[in-house]
Amino acid sequence: MTDLDFRQEAYAPSGPQTTNLADILERVLDKGIVIAGDIKIDLLDIELLTIRLRLFVASVDTAKKAGIDWWETDPALSSHAARNALQDENRELRARLEALESRSSDAPEQQEQESETNPSSRR
Amino acid sequence: MTEDIPAPAEAGTEAVYVYAVCRAEEPPDLTGPAGLSCESPLRPLAVGPALTAVVQTVRAADFTDEAWQARLADEPELERYARAHHEVVCAVAARLPTVPLPLATLYHDEQRARAALSRESRRFHAALERTANHSEWGVKVYVTDAPAGQAAGAAPQPPAAGAGAGRAYLDRKRSLRDRRERQRSDALRIADAVDADVSALATASRRLPPHGGRAPEERRTQVLNATYLVAGERAAELARLARNLRERTGAQVELSGPWVPYSFVGEV
Repeated sequence: MTDLDFRQEAYAPSGPQTTNLADILERVLDKGIVIAGDIKIDLLDIELLTIRLRLFVASVDTAKKAGIDWWETDPALSSHAARNALQDENRELRARLEALESRSSDAPEQQEQESETNPSSRR
Repeated sequence: MTEDIPAPAEAGTEAVYVYAVCRAEEPPDLTGPAGLSCESPLRPLAVGPALTAVVQTVRAADFTDEAWQARLADEPELERYARAHHEVVCAVAARLPTVPLPLATLYHDEQRARAALSRESRRFHAALERTANHSEWGVKVYVTDAPAGQAAGAAPQPPAAGAGAGRAYLDRKRSLRDRRERQRSDALRIADAVDADVSALATASRRLPPHGGRAPEERRTQVLNATYLVAGERAAELARLARNLRERTGAQVELSGPWVPYSFVGEV
């Protein structure tokens, strides 16, 4: 019937033998049931991003060019990142930048007015 | 100076590493994988009604933030740890219903591990129930990259007589852009179609970020990296579907599994 060999006798059979490192890492690093441990290792924060970048940077780049960037807004994927203060700050800055950009493209005159009445340096 | 004598053994030099929690009335058989430490064997730790954790005593010094910083920058070392963890999880899951923990969940001692894990027994039972008789299957879709340059269909028109090089340049740019646009929408369409069909067969699904090709000569782009929780009795159907999708879309549809359902034991 099928050309795949199944190990139906097992509950949750051992993973495929040919698994590549990226497949394993994306599961053992940030999947599994997360329980608070005594020894706090923030694998899920900055360090994880480092690995992610190393593993995925090529694709992230390619994918973004192809317009595939859904994971950036996927709560399941960004929940770890969401805890990251730096990430939060980035998001906030990005939102502000977007707001500024849309304001400057939508209503250039208004923006000019505002920049006149709101000098950038506040004292 | 005689400062560099090794510190005397004291509380805190050892830690208890937890790999997974399984449903077991009796202590499970843990022969096989060595785990992360060659100094002490894997052992069961009862953590609640019918729940047993698979733990190992490890050196605390190997699991500090600094140690991890170094490890994450050292790929062979990271790979060793990830595979060792995975190997234990797989060995346990092959024998008993199992909930894997992520890499590096550690406690100061056995009592603290038992206390912390017992508090979560409801979550473990819920996860075991959710994944009972299911496995995780990864589905990746790749599309072949069109050759760079002008090989693809829309060969640029030779510039009309009198048209300048600037015009020709713009035409070339435009056709390149159009082609990329087409490729991009085709790829997205295929990814979504595959995801929709496999999701219809699966109990649950997750999308993961696509991987980068390590080898630039690979000439293919991963457009879908998703993972699905599939009932045991539907695994054959999944294999047929993958084959069917391969024929229908012309894309490379790769199936990996069965995996221990790492991606479906959390509450996310």
